[in-house]
Order: sequence, then structure tokens, then C-alpha cells
Amino acid sequence: MSKHLLLFLLLFVLGGQALAGQGEAPAETWTPVRLHAALAAMPEGDAERGARLHDALFCASCHGERGESLSRHWPALSGQRAPYTYKMLLDYRDGLRHEDARAEMMVVLARMMSEQDMADVAAFYAAQPLPGSAPLKKGHPVNDLVRRGDPQRLITPCASCHGVEGQGGRNETPSLAGQRPEYLVRTLKAFRDNTRHNDVHQGMAQFAWDLSDEEIRALAEYYAR
Amino acid sequence: MKKFVYTLALLLPLFAATAPAQESVAQQTERPTGEMMGNTCAACHGTYGRLGTAAFVPLAGMEVEEFVRAMRAFRDGTRPSTLMHSVAVGFSDEEYRAMAEFFAAQGTEE
Amino acid sequence: MQRRDFLKALGAGAMLASGLSIKSVFANAAPHVVIVGGGVGGATAAKYLKLADPNIRVTVIEKNPVYLRPYGSSEVLNDHIGMDDLEVRYDRLRDRYGIEFLFDMVTGVDPHRRTVRTAGGATLGYDRMIVSPGIQLLYERIEGYSASVAESRIPSAWIPGTQTRLLRDQLHAMRPGGTFVIVAPPNPYRCPPGPYERGALMAEWFKVHNPTAKVIILDAKDSFVPGPSMLLGWNRLYGYNVPERFQEGMPTEGEWPMKIHDAPGMLDWVAGRDGGRVLSVDPASLSVETEAGRFKADVLNIVPPMVAGRVAFELDLVDGRGYCPIDRRTHESTRHPGIHVIGDACVADAMPKSGFSANTQAKVAARAVVDLLAGRDTQAPLWENTCYALAGTEYGLYVADIFRLVDGRITRMEGPRFLPLDASRAQIRIGALYQQNWMRTFTEDCFA
Repeated sequence: MSKHLLLFLLLFVLGGQALAGQGEAPAETWTPVRLHAALAAMPEGDAERGARLHDALFCASCHGERGESLSRHWPALSGQRAPYTYKMLLDYRDGLRHEDARAEMMVVLARMMSEQDMADVAAFYAAQPLPGSAPLKKGHPVNDLVRRGDPQRLITPCASCHGVEGQGGRNETPSLAGQRPEYLVRTLKAFRDNTRHNDVHQGMAQFAWDLSDEEIRALAEYYAR
Repeated sequence: MKKFVYTLALLLPLFAATAPAQESVAQQTERPTGEMMGNTCAACHGTYGRLGTAAFVPLAGMEVEEFVRAMRAFRDGTRPSTLMHSVAVGFSDEEYRAMAEFFAAQGTEE
Repeated sequence: MQRRDFLKALGAGAMLASGLSIKSVFANAAPHVVIVGGGVGGATAAKYLKLADPNIRVTVIEKNPVYLRPYGSSEVLNDHIGMDDLEVRYDRLRDRYGIEFLFDMVTGVDPHRRTVRTAGGATLGYDRMIVSPGIQLLYERIEGYSASVAESRIPSAWIPGTQTRLLRDQLHAMRPGGTFVIVAPPNPYRCPPGPYERGALMAEWFKVHNPTAKVIILDAKDSFVPGPSMLLGWNRLYGYNVPERFQEGMPTEGEWPMKIHDAPGMLDWVAGRDGGRVLSVDPASLSVETEAGRFKADVLNIVPPMVAGRVAFELDLVDGRGYCPIDRRTHESTRHPGIHVIGDACVADAMPKSGFSANTQAKVAARAVVDLLAGRDTQAPLWENTCYALAGTEYGLYVADIFRLVDGRITRMEGPRFLPLDASRAQIRIGALYQQNWMRTFTEDCFA
């Protein structure tokens, strides 16, 4: 527990510095209370209107015709849980996510969207099939990590939040099944290396801190289509 | 005012009408290789379609059918684009495939 | 070739050719290609020659060890970027591809013995030469204007350098409510959207820093690329009233309609038909005499007529109109065999003089040179041009075309070329973002 507290304090300081370097003042980082309120206030999504927005905002140019992902540059969105997509759009808009030039497009677009637009687009993607599934893979090098976690490193099983087949969990916990492996690798490294800060109280980052590059590659491959 | 005619062609649902004209020009002229055509994409999509962190789609290693489907959809206007429609109307289906095969054969390291 | 260099070249080739199986036909006797000019065209040609066959020895002769990119250089004027951001170095072309650089000036060529001489006293033999000399500005074609006036008082800032810095400083120091006059060049010229983008970017900057300033573009032409899409952007951003003859197809209702402004804004364009043609300039009073009368400027920027770069004349590659005639299929000069001309200096029919054009011309020429050296048939060429342009830092426009060889001429494929006039705010905003990304990816394709 003390290990966690120390890390937490260290990262809190480092994280603040990293964010301060980005130029634009980002929004406050999430707390459970704020996130709960934001998701409770999420408008009801209209998937049909979301489909029209998906066209009007050129989403297919990067994410594919129905969000299935066109390339290693950008994630699949099809079948993604609506609260997750909605939260990411809020995070782009508010400057909590801005990894590199590839994310810049999302910052620009999210700032052109209302919260209703965001909910509608999220509903559209949630209505599409997941691009894959990640069933039990006995003998896979990270099957234990996914299914049982690693108590020694205080890593809870991935499946306990992200679903037994990677289909996503409650609220904003995203699906991982069928995701682009390159995107999963980038994301896990961003959490591990403390360059991504849009989770609640390092809710995801704390499980990535102790992962090796090899484990990250294997996890991405486990969940990839 | 030829420019207006072109611009209007985009405003009106005439996408399908422009395609056959291009096909005929493309078929009359000697077909460039997939590499020759693919090299014209590099200014945005990277040399041989390899791209680091830029906002454009990396084309290296893209599946052939995915590439062909995307170009056809850009040409026909069924996939909205910023400027890819203007590029896609310049090529025939056979040429999409030749370019697709060129990019599919490229390694994907950034 | 030194053994070390050879190994380096071999390594680079193996690394870069992954996915393509390249079998060099020059394993025993490596041919030498000399490239004159290290701008967009020359650099791209050098890189693509090495990509096609790393055994070809490639030497680039270029005046400046650090290249200043002209594309996007108007963004220095509004402080969107600094002069430093225009600098491009040749290290990556040298280190990754084994391209040799000679920073020197070409003074002559012997096309029969296939040798080229430099001011520094070097004589290089070549099997084939690619010349990419760009343009030179003809200041004296405008009465009262000259190179020295351009360096001291009325910059053209069309080839980036000290004039770019001078113009930037003049604009930033302009008196409140002053007038910035741009004189646009007659066709053909480098970067067709450039003068109009420059006017727009400065109008945007003045709106914040000098809101009563005026921007006037004087023009001998009656239209320009990207045409109505730029005029519509001016209308929306700077209160410009679009002439009636350009209004067709412009949205009059909906998300972002064209408006008729009772009090027009700070930006104006005087076309040739309205008397925009410049007759003379008076540097002392910064005034311009046109067919429509006298315009008094506080800051004056003249983009004069231009022709092929100096070296094209030195090498006798130029025709009566000041540009270099070529066999379009290979870009080989019709005046001197064995010498290929690419970029702004060559006669390329329907292609605009742009960096993107030079880049695809370089690839066509590089492929032709490799095939000719190997004694193979040359391939059917294909060219593209995409010019992104800005009507404001968040307002992206474009012209995009594919070109083919039809009946011996470079011919534009018909189709919609410009940002549609009914484009949404999202498309316009994304266009500006792509423009910024393009600056980087394009530079990488040419120089890295």
C-alpha cells in the first residue's frame, strides 16, 4: 500500500509537470465524483443521427466505414461501449488526451461537437459489431495475467474489468477485443510511461507501471483481432 | 468558367457520372506501374506509404481489398472525403488494384 | 567509391528496399548521376534514384548547405512559424542513402563529354544529369523595381531568405491603419495560390494586431487558383465582397452562407479587368502606378515575373520563353540529350509550378534515368499535384489533380479539383490541419 502511495505522489507531481508543458491549460483530471456526474449527464444517444455525424465529420477517413479501423494509426471504434467513446470525446475536447499529431485531429473535431453530438456518435459505434473477440487462450504467455492478474505486482486481472472476452465492462471501461495491436501497445506504454492521464486516479495506469515491453506486446496480441 | 462546372459536379450528385470518363482516359493511355502511381501518394502518405505520427493514413501494408474499396468509395462519393475524391477520380479500378498491390507489399516499420 | 561508403549504401539500400526485391543491374560498373540543385526536385530525385537502385552513385551540386523551403514560407510573415522552421538539412539524404553533396555552383557543362564544371574548380563526369534549378525573379521587368530595391525596401519574399525577414519586420512595424499592397505575378509563376494565401494570412493577423489596416492585392490576371473557394473564404473571414462573376454556386443560406457586406472589410483584390495591372513602382514613396490609378502603400510586396533558374540558362536548356522544353515521358531536355529537367524550370504543360509537382516530376525523371541507364524501356509516367492553401490559419483549401501523358503532353484529368463551395466547417477546419501535417510529411518524402 505504501508503495502505491509513493508512486501515486511521485506521478502526481510528474504528471502535473507534463501537463503544464502542453501549452493549453487542460481540464481538471477526473475524480470518481466528477466522472460519475459527467456520465450521468450524458445525453441519450441517437445512433441514426450518429451515423450522419460519422459521415459529416469524416470519421471514416481514419476509423473506417463503420469504425472498424483502417490502419495501425487509429483504433477500431465499432462495438465500443458508448460511455467510453463519449468520455474520450470529452477528454479530447478538454485537452486530457493529446498524444501526438494523430490525436490532433480528434482535438479539433471534438471542439466542433456538442455533447449531444458526442453521445450520438458513441451510440452509432456501440451499435456496430465488435471487430473481434478474445476468448480464453490457455497456454498463451499472458493468459494468466489476463485471467488472474499478478498479486505480486498488484495487477488485477484485465478480464475482471474489460470482460471475459474483452468485450468491455461497466460504464466507461472499454472493449479491447479485436482492437489494433499497435494501438493497444501505444496505449499501454502511454499509461505505463505516464504520458496519458485521462483515467480516474491512475485507475488504468497503475496496472501498466510494472509491465515489460514484452508483456505489453503479448497483451496487445492477445486482444487483437 | 470550367472551374465552376467542376465545382458544381461535386455539389450535385454527379459522382458516378465523372467516373466513366476517367476510366476511358485511363484505359486509352499506357498504364503506369503500381509503384509509379503509388509514388504520387507519398507526399502525404509517406515514402512507400510508410508514415510516422502524421494525421494521414499510412498505406504500407494495407490489405489490397481495403485499399481498393476505399478508393472506389472516395470516387463514388459514398465515403466522404476532404480531397481524396479529387484524387480518386483520376484513376481506373485496375489502377487502384495495381497501387494496392504495391502498398500491400511494403513493410510497415515506421 | 570508398569501401566504407559502398557498405553504407548497401546497408541503406537493404533497409529501405525491404518489401521490394531490388536486383541491381549495376553491380559491376556503377553509373554516376549528377543532380544540379538541391531543392524539392533535386533532393527527391536523388532519394528516389537511390531507392530504385542503391548502386547508382548520386552527387547533388547545391549552392547552400542549408535549404530554406519556399512552400509554407508565408507563415513566417504572421509569426505562425519562425525562419528557423524553414531550414532543411541534407544529413539524412547523405547518411541514410549514401547521396554525395557538393556545395558549389555549376558554371558550365560539356554535354558531349558529359562533364560538368563548378565555380570551385571541380569537374565531374556524369552518365546522366538531372537539373532542378527552380526559378529566378525578373525584378527589372517592372519599371522602378530592382534586386537592390527588393533587398532593402520592397521585398518580394518569393524565394525565402533575407527578404522574407524584411517583409515580416515591415508588416509587424506597419503604422496603425496602414495599407499592405501585394503585387501578384503574371502566369506562369511558382506557387499559384501563394499571393492570395499571403494576403489572407496577413488580413487574419491584422484583424488582431492592426484592425484598421488594409490589404490590397493588385493583379494583371482575372482569376487564380484555387479561385472561388479562396474568394468565399475571404468573404467569410475578412468581409470581402465576391465579384458577381464568381458567385455562382456559392451558398446563400445554411450553415455558413456567403454574405454581401455593406461595409467591405480590410482585404481587396483588384483584377486585371479592373485595372490591377502594374505599370511602374516608385520606391521612394512606396506607390504603385496601375491601369486603375495610383496605390500608395505602407508596406509593399512585389512578386515579379519569373523564369527558369540561372543554371538552366548557363547550361543552355532554356527556350525563348525562359523555361526548359523536355520530352515529357522522361523529362529529358529536347536541347541536350542526357540532361533531364524537373521542377519549376521545365515546361510541364498543365502542371502548376509547385513543390508537389516538382516532387512527382523528380520521381518520374528518376525512374526514367534508372531505366535508360540500364538500357530498359522507359515506363509510362504519372504525375500529381496537390496544393493545400489557407484562407486563414484554420481555413484550409486545396487544388488536387492527376496528370497523364496524352499525345506527348502532360494532361490534367478532368474532375472536381477544388474544395467544394458547400464544404462544411468541419471539412474546412480539417483541411487546415492536413495542410500543417502535409508540410512535415512532404518535407520527409523529399529530404529524409
